[in-house]
Amino acid sequence: MLMIKRLMTQHMPGMLTCEEVDGFLYDFHEGNLSYLEKFTFKLHLSMCRECRDYVEGYVNAIRIYQAGFIKTNQSTKIPEDLMQAILKSRTSK
Amino acid sequence: MLKKKPSAILNQDKNKENELIERLIENKDLAYETLVRQYSVRMYTTARRFFYTDDDAQECLQKAFIQVFKNISSFKKNSQLSTWLHRITVNEALMMLRQKKRQNTTSLEVFSQRYNEYGERTVFADELGNNLEDTLSNNIEVLFEKSEAKLSLSEIIYQLPEKYCNVILLRDIQEMNTKETAEILAVSEASVKTQLHRARLLLRAILEQEDRASIESNWKVN
Repeated sequence: MLMIKRLMTQHMPGMLTCEEVDGFLYDFHEGNLSYLEKFTFKLHLSMCRECRDYVEGYVNAIRIYQAGFIKTNQSTKIPEDLMQAILKSRTSK
Repeated sequence: MLKKKPSAILNQDKNKENELIERLIENKDLAYETLVRQYSVRMYTTARRFFYTDDDAQECLQKAFIQVFKNISSFKKNSQLSTWLHRITVNEALMMLRQKKRQNTTSLEVFSQRYNEYGERTVFADELGNNLEDTLSNNIEVLFEKSEAKLSLSEIIYQLPEKYCNVILLRDIQEMNTKETAEILAVSEASVKTQLHRARLLLRAILEQEDRASIESNWKVN
């Protein structure tokens, strides 16, 4: 499989290497790739398990830490004493 | 009953906002109270996304309002008040994080993905070729000075090098766009993209080393 992948990336026109996939990853995640770029990116993923795992790990990592932060953002009640302290800080400056 | 057009509502809001700003500049006590009560929840929500304790977020809110009180006279009336308040809160949060941050943050900065001569993915290694997988677990313990406790997600993010921590917090947590992030951090948009990508790769590598299930269960919900 490795040899097939290597032959394809070296000799097939338009095929991306793993390194080039990395270069496209940010824009892939941001949805900034053109149709052709996305096609070649996905074509590489379809034949490269390492890159598939790599991209999946990247997307999952973002999902995990975003979800973690969202969990902590449910408390939005401002205590009255904090409001008063803020207002007091204006006159005591 | 006829509904007002959105633009009419927007104009009405803008007029109210302008009136409030004028009264703030005139130093009216009631106007300040209105400002605090009206905008503190929104500012607190912004602050809370930078910190995992309510105490830190509250401190940030208080500091942000002190800046607001000091600088309200320089507020440009053609700007949006909420945008200005958001910017001040973000700046205060970043300043607090900078102060809290230990100087000797992670040496993981030198790590990057390595490829062989065919451009094929090999390892996540440092400049000397040391494999991240071999060294990361040791590094994390030394780095974060946590020999026993598993790290929470937020702690991992806070212990990243400052430029990576900031860009993750602004782009992925606050969900600000690249342009806004670049303006706040005073760097180019290209730098934001590069730093964000590297920060995500670092976090991905770290998360893969840590037990994900454990991280999620250890997540501190206040």
